[in-house]
Amino acid sequence: MIEVKNLTKQYGSVCAVNGVSFSVGEGEIVGFLGPNGAGKTTTIRVLTCFHPATSGTASVAGFDVFSQSMRVRENVGYLPESVPLYLEMRVREYLQFRSKLRGIDASKRQSTIDRVAERCWIKDVISRPIGQLSKGYRQRVGLADALLHNPKVLILDEPTVGLDPTQIRETRTLIRDLAAEHTVMLSSHILPEVEATCQRLVIINKGRIVASGTPDELRQRVTRSSRLIAELKGAEKDIAGGIRKLSGVEGVEAVANNGWTRVTVSTKDDLRESIYKLSTENGWPIRELRGEVASLEDFFVKIVAGAGEHAS
Amino acid sequence: MRNTVAIMQRELLSLFFSPIGYIVIAGFLLLTGIIVLVTDSFGPGKPATLRAVFDFTPYVLTIIIPAITMRAISEEYRNGTIESLMTAPVSDSELVLGKFAAAVVFYAIMLGATLVYLVMMAMFGNPDVGASLSSYLGLFLLGVAFLGVGIFTSSLTSNQIVAWIVGCVPLMLFVWFAGFIVGRVHGGLRSVLQRVNVMRHLDQFNRGLVTTESVVFLVGTAVLFVFLAIKVVESRRWR
Repeated sequence: MIEVKNLTKQYGSVCAVNGVSFSVGEGEIVGFLGPNGAGKTTTIRVLTCFHPATSGTASVAGFDVFSQSMRVRENVGYLPESVPLYLEMRVREYLQFRSKLRGIDASKRQSTIDRVAERCWIKDVISRPIGQLSKGYRQRVGLADALLHNPKVLILDEPTVGLDPTQIRETRTLIRDLAAEHTVMLSSHILPEVEATCQRLVIINKGRIVASGTPDELRQRVTRSSRLIAELKGAEKDIAGGIRKLSGVEGVEAVANNGWTRVTVSTKDDLRESIYKLSTENGWPIRELRGEVASLEDFFVKIVAGAGEHAS
Repeated sequence: MRNTVAIMQRELLSLFFSPIGYIVIAGFLLLTGIIVLVTDSFGPGKPATLRAVFDFTPYVLTIIIPAITMRAISEEYRNGTIESLMTAPVSDSELVLGKFAAAVVFYAIMLGATLVYLVMMAMFGNPDVGASLSSYLGLFLLGVAFLGVGIFTSSLTSNQIVAWIVGCVPLMLFVWFAGFIVGRVHGGLRSVLQRVNVMRHLDQFNRGLVTTESVVFLVGTAVLFVFLAIKVVESRRWR
């Protein structure tokens, strides 16, 4: 649905996007991730035909963004980061205006507006001036606008920034629902967001793609081993010694804590069952036992820092 | 075409919603009303003509018309809504034309409100209706030309005040100082300037002469500046 090949965008002497290539298949939800200033919004603006690229090609829904700009715009629903709206218009009026621009027949306009208002939970504010709405509602109006013409592709730039936790959850659910019928590309610098909603991630830093893959694949690339945390009651030396003897243990750190010992075990395997058996054999009560999987945040920080080192 | 109409409708809604719209109309009607008083057009024994008003109005328009158009495009830049317009299946020319059309309709309504003076005159006297209508046509076309300039200056900047001033100043040069400038030059330059002398064209309309030259000049000015505005908006994509 989205094909980007060697896209470059320069603003004067600043190269915002430098030879970026990626693709998004039909029905996928892909997260476009990167620190602030990485080139996410610039790439998105090229895809939505706001700015032309300096070089390279991009196509959306099979149409080239430069030579078939109108066809691309007909097939894309775009929610810009700033969620631009006309504050003096009422929600209904705004959606009517946008549906006219989208070429929706006068007879179908009302039902289309009702449909998107229902989907985006803005039915109760449909008659209010947009200037009176909270950020969360405004964001949903923007999203409703993007859905009016039932586009094949949805491009959302930072759709949850500035929302409160409840609103974030609701938006997340909404996006996941939408993915069933549309191809979604969303950009964010909020990791839990992207982790929760996207099937695949493309990470961009300083204008270049630095990583691409599913969240699981990327997490595995952080460190080879994961860690186990356990708290057992007993002498530090005994517990640490006992655990070290288990096979597959790469390192043990033990801290005494009021009669209990908190152990952090570096290991490739899942030794939780072995530790449990150890604790019962030796009569050490156990009050915490969990695996700590490397987080996406670790990966992100590492990859961005790594790219930084490369650059300098 | 459909997009142009949609944009025009939205813009009219916005013009009549925002205080600027009402203040501009009120200001214009107040000024023309004062002109009627000051020129004693309804004084006893005076000829039944609004000529004095028609002569004075262009001076007012040089300030009022850029105020109508100042927020047309600059507001979209300032608001960020230019992004949602440029990524919708709307061409840049449809966008500018829609804004221009809305400004023309707004101006027509504003100008039309002054017809009340003509009606009043007809109640008390016997005005030359043909000449009066010709004057109105002249004022309307002059306004259209000025609106073209105003839309152009609005497309240049995201700051409304700058758009207003940059629109105001050249228009004032052509109206307030027209006679002065033309009087100071000689020969070839003078005849060129006389052709673009807006006040001379208006004078003809006021005499009841609707000449092709004047109509083409005024409409052509509007077309030129609207075209330039479209180009400026298009160029925004490349920056």
